[in-house]
Amino acid sequence: MDLKYVGKTYIRPDAISKVTGKAIYLDDIRLPDMLHAVVLRPKYAHARIKKVDTAEAEKCPGVYKVVTGAGCKFRYGDNIKDLQPMAVDKVRYIGDPVAAVIADTPAHARAAVEKIVVDYEPLPVYTDAREAIKPGAALIHEGHEKYWRLPTLHETADSNIANTYHLHKGRGEEGFDEAEVIIEEEFNYPLGSCAAIEPHGTIVWFKEDRTIEVWSTSICPFIIREDLANSYGVPVGDVRVHTPDLGGCFGYKSDITTEQTIAWIASFAPGRPVKWVASREEDFTSTLLAHGIRTRMKMGAKKDGTLVALKSTIYHTGGAYADTAVNVTIASTHNSTGPYEFKHCDLTGYTVYTNTPAVGAYRGYGHQESQIATERMMDLMARKLGMDALALRKKNFLSEGKVNAVGETMWKHNGNLLECATRVEKMLFSKPKPAEDADYVYGRSMVTVMKSPKGAPFSTKGCYMKMNVDGSVTINMGGAEVGQGLRTIIRQIAGEALKIAPERVRVYTEIDTQYSPYEWQTIGSMFTTQGGRAIIRAADKLITLLKNTAAQVLKTDVDYLEYEGDYVILRNDPTIRVATAELARGYITDDGITIGDLAQSVSDARLPRYSNPDKNGQGSIGVTYTMGAQAVELRIEKKTGKILVDHFYSVFDVGQVINPLQIRGSVLGGVTMAIGAALYEEVVFDAEGHITNPQLFKYHLPTYKESVEQTIEFVETPDPIGPFGARGIGEHSVIGAAPAILNAIYDAIGVDLFEIPATPEKVKKALEARKEPK
Amino acid sequence: MAEKMTFKINGLDRTVEIEPEMMLIDLLRDELNLTGTKRGCDNSTCGTCVVVLNGKAVKSCNTLASKAAGADVITVEGLASGMELHPIQKAIAESGAVQCGFCTPGIVMELYGLLETNPEAGETEMTNALNKHLCRCTGYEPIRDGALIAQKMMKEHAKAK
Repeated sequence: MDLKYVGKTYIRPDAISKVTGKAIYLDDIRLPDMLHAVVLRPKYAHARIKKVDTAEAEKCPGVYKVVTGAGCKFRYGDNIKDLQPMAVDKVRYIGDPVAAVIADTPAHARAAVEKIVVDYEPLPVYTDAREAIKPGAALIHEGHEKYWRLPTLHETADSNIANTYHLHKGRGEEGFDEAEVIIEEEFNYPLGSCAAIEPHGTIVWFKEDRTIEVWSTSICPFIIREDLANSYGVPVGDVRVHTPDLGGCFGYKSDITTEQTIAWIASFAPGRPVKWVASREEDFTSTLLAHGIRTRMKMGAKKDGTLVALKSTIYHTGGAYADTAVNVTIASTHNSTGPYEFKHCDLTGYTVYTNTPAVGAYRGYGHQESQIATERMMDLMARKLGMDALALRKKNFLSEGKVNAVGETMWKHNGNLLECATRVEKMLFSKPKPAEDADYVYGRSMVTVMKSPKGAPFSTKGCYMKMNVDGSVTINMGGAEVGQGLRTIIRQIAGEALKIAPERVRVYTEIDTQYSPYEWQTIGSMFTTQGGRAIIRAADKLITLLKNTAAQVLKTDVDYLEYEGDYVILRNDPTIRVATAELARGYITDDGITIGDLAQSVSDARLPRYSNPDKNGQGSIGVTYTMGAQAVELRIEKKTGKILVDHFYSVFDVGQVINPLQIRGSVLGGVTMAIGAALYEEVVFDAEGHITNPQLFKYHLPTYKESVEQTIEFVETPDPIGPFGARGIGEHSVIGAAPAILNAIYDAIGVDLFEIPATPEKVKKALEARKEPK
Repeated sequence: MAEKMTFKINGLDRTVEIEPEMMLIDLLRDELNLTGTKRGCDNSTCGTCVVVLNGKAVKSCNTLASKAAGADVITVEGLASGMELHPIQKAIAESGAVQCGFCTPGIVMELYGLLETNPEAGETEMTNALNKHLCRCTGYEPIRDGALIAQKMMKEHAKAK
């Protein structure tokens, strides 16, 4: 394909406002007569509330109102309505909102919140799914079987199991009778945090005209709009939600997080906007956490290396409310095959209530959590078979004609994983591994990964496009810019589709449900694919409209015309033409009579034939995949057990690179996050359910000095859905680091680790058990 | 007890009333509406609040506002002259160092503090300065690239003058 603007680097349109400090993030918004809220969090992670005494707090200076959950009658949630905006009779985790103070300043609210006295009756605390799932465990949600939930979800009454998802392919577990070699192990990807540098925040304003206006650090303003309308009994159109600039998301600003709590609080200050911004501690304790997935995996193969059967059992420490965790569990479960074909699958995922903050989306959405198991198991299986680990992988790739776990047939256009793997193999093994020296022992490893989007039946993205009188174009969409660079991508795709320079395409700067086209939420690495398709559809409509007007102007039939960007021309005589700009408001003839429609169009796009899972847990629920290979070279400091990553390699088949600078930036950042998870990051709980490290100086994010040298390349096998053949890539880079690092540790010292983070303490211990790797 | 304090902010003399325990970040954001300076953590870890005080990059979240008395404070809003961006801003915008942009003002000001006083800053100084800033988006490589381009541009500017 001959592309003019797609495939080239353009600088993001929001770069200037960000380097000048003029970009407006949530906490930068000041509204007239605004009040501030501070939320009280509980002393216990699981307790009955016996009494809340607010008398002293009410007397404090500047206090407008003290709010509790008393009288709250509604529950909310998109998948399971198990959430309440404020604790009513019990608290279920250490960040549950118990009460709040609304005051004139945040400082006054903070001082007053400390004067609220709560009497609790502590209950048993479970911070791990394995504990909470045991028979006889105290129930975190008594009677949860009565909650509304999506018809595709299956709770277990009188237990802490919020949902069980099961996938059956082929003969399921019976298929292991065809296997000649069987291995089984358990792996853990512990709780973590997205930890965007901008914490969560929300402003809610209940107005006297009974409309509700909201600003939030959220990538799903349309969900918030529908949710609040439902909770407060107003028409959906009467709730207006704004998304300002966002200081990173990585998942935990998707779904509904803190907005219902702040709305509940603000409903006690009608007529005035109420603002709340999370402290960093609250961002850890009281918004969404990530991962918390333990995978037990059994894998069966023939002696020649043909994989035949897979059994995965996933125990998800889903947190105190399962609404946001349940789909992470499901995605993790059916994607636990990795990029390999298994004839028989028996995959089960339990979403379990625990006394920890609710788990929600994190870049990767369940994939890295179960594929840490898959990719370690592939190495373990290869060792058992006496086979090269890469040869084993190649033999079983989900290549053309293979059928994945959910029953979808793979096509050539799903990507050339073999090419990705071959390139990484060359990069990694073209030079010998350094020999052990006095200080370090060296290891290296490569893995292959895949990711699907996680959609929903209505997960569409809308696009509104208008041509201005000078032929420039304005585009409005509902996609949230979180830093991924979608505004640049929109410009490039629209420029290509409309044959005009991207600089002449102006893109929206904020989302406002009053003006923005509908978008479900900007998740699942789907914006380029779906949003890009919506742009192309809108452009096609706009071009048809321009040609229809031009046909009248040029006195010919539409099918003799070509759209050339600046002009619509007669195909057999290009000198007969009309400037596109002259068609923008309809064409104004010399006598002032105007013909033709205003040059504007609306469209949307969803994943084609995306469906709910059927009774076997299968269906068209993946639709499009991006596959790739990743590898690591590392060294272990023998004295300390510290791991130093020397180099990281990634090659993904993305169909078509849209913007080389941005796509490299995306992978650089994703790999860095994943190395953080593999080596440093874990949200740690004590036995009482308190988080012991809810601060950035304790929760170790990768720093500048810890950044890793990376080689990043892309294969481009065009995708039939995405614009100009492009596929999703936003999340995929986070999948390979953890298993690659653990496999490389084995390569270095012959010891198998089964969980992350691979801290110096754990690696030091492993060094003591050191063996010659097989 | 509120006290009057005069200082220079982005080139202009201002007299403000401050409480003794007020932090510089609160003076900037809440009293002067200079919201380009960001807050990302509770304990002076993330670096996104960095401003330049008397030529030195400081974290405004752990600097008392009273420390600015009689001083010269520059925030990210004070770098560009009109429509003309400072070379650091230009370089950071073009190198891919901006994704979500929330850490950007702090990094821009850190580099300003470093390169205006030490145009020849070597790799160690650069690394030590940038290591005070957390970025969750970029993996840091484009920030390093931007810093090096900025240094080069500033040297060329100085030569041209």
